[in-house]
This record gives sequence, C-alpha cells and structure tokens, in this order.
Amino acid sequence: MAQPRKNLKIALMLCLPLFFASLILRAELPGQVIADQEKPDVQPSSSSVPVEVSSMTLVEEAAKWNGRKVIFTGEAVGEGMVRGLKCWIHINDDVYMWKNIEEGAKLGGYNSGQAIWVDAGLAREITFYGNYLHEGDIVKVTGTFNSVCRDHGGDMDIHADTLEIVRIGHRVEHVINYKRAVLALIMLGLAGILFRARSIARRRRI
Amino acid sequence: MIVRPRLADFKIIGLYCGKIIIGVGLLMVVPLVVSVLFGEWNPAIDFLLGIAVCLVFGLFTEVFCQTTRDLSWSHGLVVAGFSWILATAVGAIPHWLSGHFGSYLDAMFDIMSGYTTTGLYLLQDLDHISNGLNMWRHLLTYAGGQGIIVIALTFLIRGTAGAYKIYVGEGKDERLLPNVIQTARAIWLISLTYLVVGSAALWAVGMNIGQSPFRALFHAVWVFMGSWSTGGFAPQSYNILYYHSLAYEIICAVVFIVGSFNFALHWAVWTGKKSEIRKNIEIISFFITMTVAMLITTAGLAKLGVYPDIASSFRKIFFQVSSAHTTTGFGTIYSRTFVVQWGPLAMLGITLAMAIGASACSTAGGFKGIRMGLIFKSMLQSIRRLISPESAYVVKKWHHITSRVLDDAAVHSAMLIVIFYILTYAVGAIIGVFYGYEPVQALFDSVSAGSNTGLSCGVTSPAMPALLKIVYIVEMWAGRLEFMSLFALGGYIIALFRGR
Repeated sequence: MAQPRKNLKIALMLCLPLFFASLILRAELPGQVIADQEKPDVQPSSSSVPVEVSSMTLVEEAAKWNGRKVIFTGEAVGEGMVRGLKCWIHINDDVYMWKNIEEGAKLGGYNSGQAIWVDAGLAREITFYGNYLHEGDIVKVTGTFNSVCRDHGGDMDIHADTLEIVRIGHRVEHVINYKRAVLALIMLGLAGILFRARSIARRRRI
Repeated sequence: MIVRPRLADFKIIGLYCGKIIIGVGLLMVVPLVVSVLFGEWNPAIDFLLGIAVCLVFGLFTEVFCQTTRDLSWSHGLVVAGFSWILATAVGAIPHWLSGHFGSYLDAMFDIMSGYTTTGLYLLQDLDHISNGLNMWRHLLTYAGGQGIIVIALTFLIRGTAGAYKIYVGEGKDERLLPNVIQTARAIWLISLTYLVVGSAALWAVGMNIGQSPFRALFHAVWVFMGSWSTGGFAPQSYNILYYHSLAYEIICAVVFIVGSFNFALHWAVWTGKKSEIRKNIEIISFFITMTVAMLITTAGLAKLGVYPDIASSFRKIFFQVSSAHTTTGFGTIYSRTFVVQWGPLAMLGITLAMAIGASACSTAGGFKGIRMGLIFKSMLQSIRRLISPESAYVVKKWHHITSRVLDDAAVHSAMLIVIFYILTYAVGAIIGVFYGYEPVQALFDSVSAGSNTGLSCGVTSPAMPALLKIVYIVEMWAGRLEFMSLFALGGYIIALFRGR
C-alpha cells in the first residue's frame, strides 16, 4: 500500500514545479510591452497656440507640458464643486468617455483624466456628470496645464479659459436581469430550508 | 510524528468557517439597502444573490458539521486562514456580477484587497459604478480593518474558550477586556464612535467644498471607512485628489493616523490612561520612522526640485508618507507621478514607510512599530553590553500598556516576523522584475501589497500577469494574518498527505 502512495507523492512533487513553470513561460511580459509602447508623440507648442493633448501624455510628460496652453476633451464625471466664483470639475478622456461599462462598453482599464479649475458660470453649462445612472457630458476645455499648481497646493490641474460642450450626456437605461433575480430567490429558498435543517441538527446535538 | 486530521477536526473547522461566511452574507445587507435606496436594481439583485450563496454555504456547513467540541489552537489558526479565502471567494460574487472586472480572479483580488485593508484595485471604470457597489467596497475595508472574525465573534459566535484562538489567528492578540467576545465588542465600540465623529467632520467639509449634502454624506462615510481602516479605497478614481481640499486631507490624515494605532492603546486612552500616548513604544517608533521616511522622501524631491514652494512640498510629502506609513494608501497624486516626477529616492522613502507600517493589533499592516521598537532597543542593548564591564548586567525596558523587561524571546519573535515580511516583499518584487518591471517599481508595488498599503506606481493594473495578481493576493493575505494562520493552514494540508 505504501508504494503507490509514495509514487503519487513523487508525481505531485514533479507536477507542481512543471505547472508553475508552464504558467510563467506562457505569460506575456507586460513590463516589456510598457517599454515598447509608443511614447506620446504630441509635442508642446512653442507659441501660445493650444495643443490637443491626452491625460496620459500630461501625466507621463508633466514637466514638458507645465505652463503650456492645452486643449483637453473628455467626459465630465462626479460633480462640479463650486468654490466662490470658480469650480472644480473632473474630465476623463479614457476609453469610457463616449460609452461607459454600464452602457455595455468593453473593459479597457482604469479611468484617467484631469482636474479642471474653471469659472463656475462655465461649469454650470454641464448638464450631466458621469456616474452609474448617467453618461456625462463630453466637454472640451482650453487652458493652462500645471504639473504642480502653485495656487492649489501642488495639485496637477488645468486652469481653463474656455469650456465647450461637445455632446450632452444622457441617462443610462439599465435592463433588469430577471433571470438573475429568479436564481437569487431560488437560492434564498434553499437557504430557508437549510436554516430549518440547522435548527433540527442543533436540537439533535443537544 | 504528524497526525492526520480526523473527520471531527474538519467538522469543527467547517462549523466556524460556515459561521464566518454567514457573517459575510449578513454584511451584504448594507449595500443591498443602499442599492434599493438609489433604485439600482441590478446591483440589488447581485447582492441578493451574494447573500443567498453565503447563507446556503454557511448553513450547509453548519448542518453537516455540528459538533460540541471546542477549538484547539491549530483549529483556530486554520479557521482564521481558511475563512479569509472562503470569504474572498464568496464576497467577490457581487463584484464579478457588476461587469466591471476582467475575470473572477480580478474580483477576488479586490475583495482580498478590501478585507486586508490594502486598497489596490483592479476594478475598471470606477467612476461609473453603482452606489451599492461603492458601499460594498468601503464596508469590506471597514469590516476587514476590525477583522471579519471580530465581526463573527461579536455577533455570531457565543463565548467559547476557543474563540480567542480564531481571534489570534486573525493577527490580533491583545485582550482589551478579560473576555474575547467583550474585546471584540470593545473594538467595535471604538470604531463605531470614530465612524460617527469622523464622518460628521468630513460631511461638513464636503458640503463646504461644494458637494451636495447627500453626496457629501456618502463620500464622508466611504472616505472615513477608507481612512479609519487604513484601507485606501475612495469613491472616485482620483482618490483624495478629487476633493482639492486641505481641510479634507487634514481630517483624512488625522483619521488614518489615529486608526493605525493599537486598539489596546485606544482602549487605554478611552479608560483614562492618557499618559500611555507618550510612553508607548509603538507611538515613539512610529514618529521616529515617520521622520526618517519624510527626510528621505524630501531629499529625493528636493534634489529633483519638483515642488516650487515649501508649503505645497510639505503638504504632498506629509500626506503621501503618512498614508504610506499607516499603510492606508490614500493619494493626492497620480500613481505614475511617483515614477515620472518623484523619482527613485523619494519612491524608496515611501517604500520604507510602507514596509515598516504602523501598530500591531490595529487596522494597519507592515512590520509594525512594536517590532521595530523591540529590534532597535535590542540593538542598543547589545551595544551597551559591548561597552559595559563583563560583570555588568544590562537591562532594557520597553512600554506597551505595561512596562516590561526586554527579553530574547520577544526580540526573536519580532525578528522572525520581520524576516517573513522581507521575504514576502522580495518574492513579489522578484516576480515583478521577472515580468519586466523596473526593480524600484516592482519593489514599490510588492511592498504595497505585502504591507497592505495600496499605493501603486502603475505596476498593479488589470493588464498585469495573472501570476503576479495571485502573488499579490497571497502577499496581502499573508501580510494581514501575519503568517501564523498561513503556516497552520499549510501544516494542515501537509498533514493530510503525510500524517498518520
């Protein structure tokens, strides 16, 4: 009886390193992918003409773009936070800016965007801010990028001069998943039966 | 001789694991109510299904594992280690059903991150998730901070001698009160009191900085939960940068620093022993290592001249370093800013802060201040022994609730745990480097996972290799439970095959 058990142990000991080795060898090397990725090819303008730029470029090349005039377009998310005559808004230019996951967009990584400091009057033009129930307005702002803003405690932001609504947002229609609801109710029913069974089992134990 | 576990052992483990999973199911009632309040019907159904699965699993194990035996030490440790894996697997159901995750593994990653108060996440399109799911993320981290076993002890497990053994298995060994159930309730009393006070303060500031009262309230509760539990989850993808408010940052910092203190210290102050604050070895250790980490980070940033003035420089450095040192993981800068603006020296300062962490028996992770204090005092004692006459008997004392004489056993145990942490950090970093990440970045995220911090410099992402996700999950789990339960579980598995 002891021999088969010993063989089984040896087989298991051989299989485990092989399994992990195969996992490692099959996996991609994302670090290399990152290194090989195209670097943002937009260059800051030497004149005061604003240049259209993405949040990724601004974060990755913050020093280069510091103090430059930029055009930044994305979905307004969260809410506008009015501070006196000014307002903070947040604009995401990620893969979800035109269509978010709740509307059926494919998964495409994290959100990314920039914080915008804008006149409260301009911010009031925004009708919808993106959240679970809404796809936010697509907003285009022109302003000065600060990699380390002196006015705002070193935050990275854009001080906007103009704000334009490119597309008004809308309410997201969620279709209720009835199949899932029925499954949940069946499972709850089963839990109820088990609850009764547990009471019986406890009584017998006592 | 290794003894193979018997059916009776599995019964007792199953019984207590079942109770803990029922506890997880009952926790889901809170996000379910939030979803219903906001009319988010699909998330509500997801939580209902999650609750049902937890109840079915928990009750099934209770029905078939009825026993009158009490827990032994090994049972307690195995229950603690195994129930965290089970709780992660079932807790991930609403996450996975939300459609915001690339795989079930990603959903489990976020749940483990929540329970362990880490704060790293793989959830995609955070800015469009439901309020119910946001409540679940933050509740996880709040409950995980106190300990999911503490919850079960408080509400589901009536006083047994063995209860203390599961409690210890979860990385806590302080008895605030003679009875472990009373201790668990005292931990909840402390946390709930701070929840009310902290949330009220954040709510007031939230309304003052332009949030609507309703949104300000929910954000206040969520951010408080993320701060107090030193978790680091936030309701928006911009994390704390979203609020652009010094007052908000100060309240968060106060909450996460206080939250990172030992529950025994809280209880001592709560019961009138205020002098404990200045005498406690963990507090002294925390402020010394915090200063060192601040100096290293400041040197790195000053060399690169990143910030234009002292005020903004101090604001950014203090928030990031204190967030790292308390293993919270809140940030007021973008993840990639660590790499592209802060540079390697500042990153090493942050990494050091994360690795050390805060207090034992708190919501924080890392080596813990008490171990750093003991090791440092032991070094001083050794030096004094060297320079003292041979006949001299050098005695060193340390204070944590009571004054004690430094002995070799305490130092040995502290060093052993620190070595395990270093090994854990190293394994994650080596695998990260293998996958092509820069060493400093791989170390940064590995230490962040192992110390349950949650800051990232960009390594952690939904696109990272599956193996690295698994490694980080294990790091978070091992770091939170401080290895003991892990070894007990490993020992049990070995005993299954090799025992007689």
